Amino acid sequence: MKILAIETSADETAAAVVEERKVLSNVIYSQILIHKKWGGIFPSLAKRAHEEKIDLIIDEALEKFKMEEISFIAVTQGPGLAVALEVGIRKAKELAVKFNKKIIAVNHLEGHIYSAFVQNSKGNPKHDFKFPYLALIVSGGHTEFVILKNHLEYEIIGQTLDDAAGEALDKAAKLLGLGYPGGPVIERLSKDANNIDSHNFPRPMLKSNDLNFSFSGLKTSFYYFLKKNPNQTSKIKLLASSFQEAVFDTLIKKTEKAIKSTSINQLIVVGGVVANMRLRKLMRDLVKKYQGEVLFPSYKYLTGDNAAMIGVVAGFKAEKDLFVKNVDELDRIPRWSL
Amino acid sequence: MKTIKLSSNNTDQVINDTITVLKSNGLVIFPSDTVYGLLCDAESGEAVQKLISFKNRPPGKAISVFCDFKSINKLVKINNQQQKIIKEILPGPFTVILPSKHQVNKLLESEKGTLGIRIPMYQLINRLIQEFGKPVTATSANSAGRPANYSIETLLKELTNKQKELIDLIVDAGVLPRNKPSTVVDLSQSDVKILRQGDLDFSNKSKIFLSKSAEETKNIAKKILEEIRQPAEKKPLIFIIEGELGVGKTVFVKGLGESLGINNIISPTFVIYYEYDIKNQISKMIHIDLYNIQDKQEFMYLGLEKLLVPGNILCFEWGEKAGEIINLLKEKSEIVYVKMRYVDEKTRKIIIKD
Repeated sequence: MKILAIETSADETAAAVVEERKVLSNVIYSQILIHKKWGGIFPSLAKRAHEEKIDLIIDEALEKFKMEEISFIAVTQGPGLAVALEVGIRKAKELAVKFNKKIIAVNHLEGHIYSAFVQNSKGNPKHDFKFPYLALIVSGGHTEFVILKNHLEYEIIGQTLDDAAGEALDKAAKLLGLGYPGGPVIERLSKDANNIDSHNFPRPMLKSNDLNFSFSGLKTSFYYFLKKNPNQTSKIKLLASSFQEAVFDTLIKKTEKAIKSTSINQLIVVGGVVANMRLRKLMRDLVKKYQGEVLFPSYKYLTGDNAAMIGVVAGFKAEKDLFVKNVDELDRIPRWSL
Repeated sequence: MKTIKLSSNNTDQVINDTITVLKSNGLVIFPSDTVYGLLCDAESGEAVQKLISFKNRPPGKAISVFCDFKSINKLVKINNQQQKIIKEILPGPFTVILPSKHQVNKLLESEKGTLGIRIPMYQLINRLIQEFGKPVTATSANSAGRPANYSIETLLKELTNKQKELIDLIVDAGVLPRNKPSTVVDLSQSDVKILRQGDLDFSNKSKIFLSKSAEETKNIAKKILEEIRQPAEKKPLIFIIEGELGVGKTVFVKGLGESLGINNIISPTFVIYYEYDIKNQISKMIHIDLYNIQDKQEFMYLGLEKLLVPGNILCFEWGEKAGEIINLLKEKSEIVYVKMRYVDEKTRKIIIKD
């Protein structure tokens, strides 16, 4: 059972063909500018110009497949940017009608959670599901705790009230005069500073009893610190490192709280920020303390937005007959919660 | 194709041979602080063409260059702030992007005319640059899109015969430590500008509030919305909110949202905007953040015109970036300007003009 998956919830225009958990093809616009087939100068299209990219991306994903081989079409329905989601959904509908296929609507966040179980075309890694899991989605747009009780059964137990963790790191980089995206630069500078926390910026919400996050106060205090101490660029590595530690310490302490309150020691940590090796190490250390395990996205490309993870979720939805009943009425849900 | 094994007593010969090849527009595979790199004279069109056909990479995609502190100012434009950052992070495993002065071959620059600069913490390359006296390309020695290589053995397995023919010299330093490829720091990004001074005129009829807490900021927002909002709106209502990072713009929008029965507002920075249904009405509140807009062209793809519907409330954070579309907004909607300023760490001044 092969599924064509389409993802256009934010910046990335992406398509993939998957079979169960196996990814048979995976195409992300920002990473494939170089394909021979298009030759010459490839137009550098604006971010979010999904409409102009989507056909190319789908053609590329389907290069080795015939539409008759595809059983279903999966598409991200939300959360995300309305006008971006619309492009993917419109395309999915068009293909569904033209080739008489059913559509499976997927929540972008469940896609991220399942990214820890996505396999390559040979079926690796092989690890099986051991429910329940405590999942932390931590990216530029999201920071939330979800319990994955069983396939497709979710319960949100905490989330950010303002900025996402990845956004906080990006904005700190910007305040330091480093460009966008800031996450990887902050990671590298912090590593150079041996991840020392010399400034002890506030850890927001650690005293609150819930599992929610708030990073806007940390951003404010960082801004204010730089304003009061304008000649700090000479300490840029220590500042980056201290800020990163404040964000990660908050994530770790809240995760520990979540482990204790749910008694679940099987973790899934996914999203763009887990590209950061420091965060991975801290998470591994944490689960060791609770004799648990932590799963990260199985391949690096799965940390960011992609269609492969959407297709894998769709496979489990297809098994349960969770198809879109009325294709005409399928519409995007920009703030769709799990 | 010639190979030299690097050892502690043949560095002079390695440097000399490499320079000879570079001078004759050849390609050299050379070790670095990260992965094996592909070096050529960055100022020579012939050499750069050869490099690009090796990389199988279409023109328009930038390729960075190794240089030294002496020559960096000849290659790129650097302001004081950027200078400070460069001094802090270089030499090191960073590729710094800056506006090019077009000293190097144009094919190495991005479409926006920027150039990537590398000053590595790697003696052999620094010496080479010094003695060659010109920048050399700093791209990894693999086809575009393929993994980078840490040994000559794996590298050669990857290459096609055609690619091998393009190589003039290989400097083999054995297996390099598995350091990650360099991290890109884009210092060239200029904010999309933006409104001219005077586009937002707060001199007349503006109201000033002081807020001591997030809660107070929300209450100010609620009060303003109650005063302004008409029961039967003929036009959409737009809040353009301007103020520095962390000043409380999202808090203000949360206040507006709460009085419309919306309690799940989070930062839309990553996706640009989120839509919310206003309780008991068909209208929507749209929370927009232009912070990540880097290119005027991006406005075209946001579909904002479609949202300019009577009854809808649009809140723009970083509204000062809306310069491109401000006329469209002005024409079709009621606009309320909100300026937020830091007084001290806890206190904010909120200036409203409608």
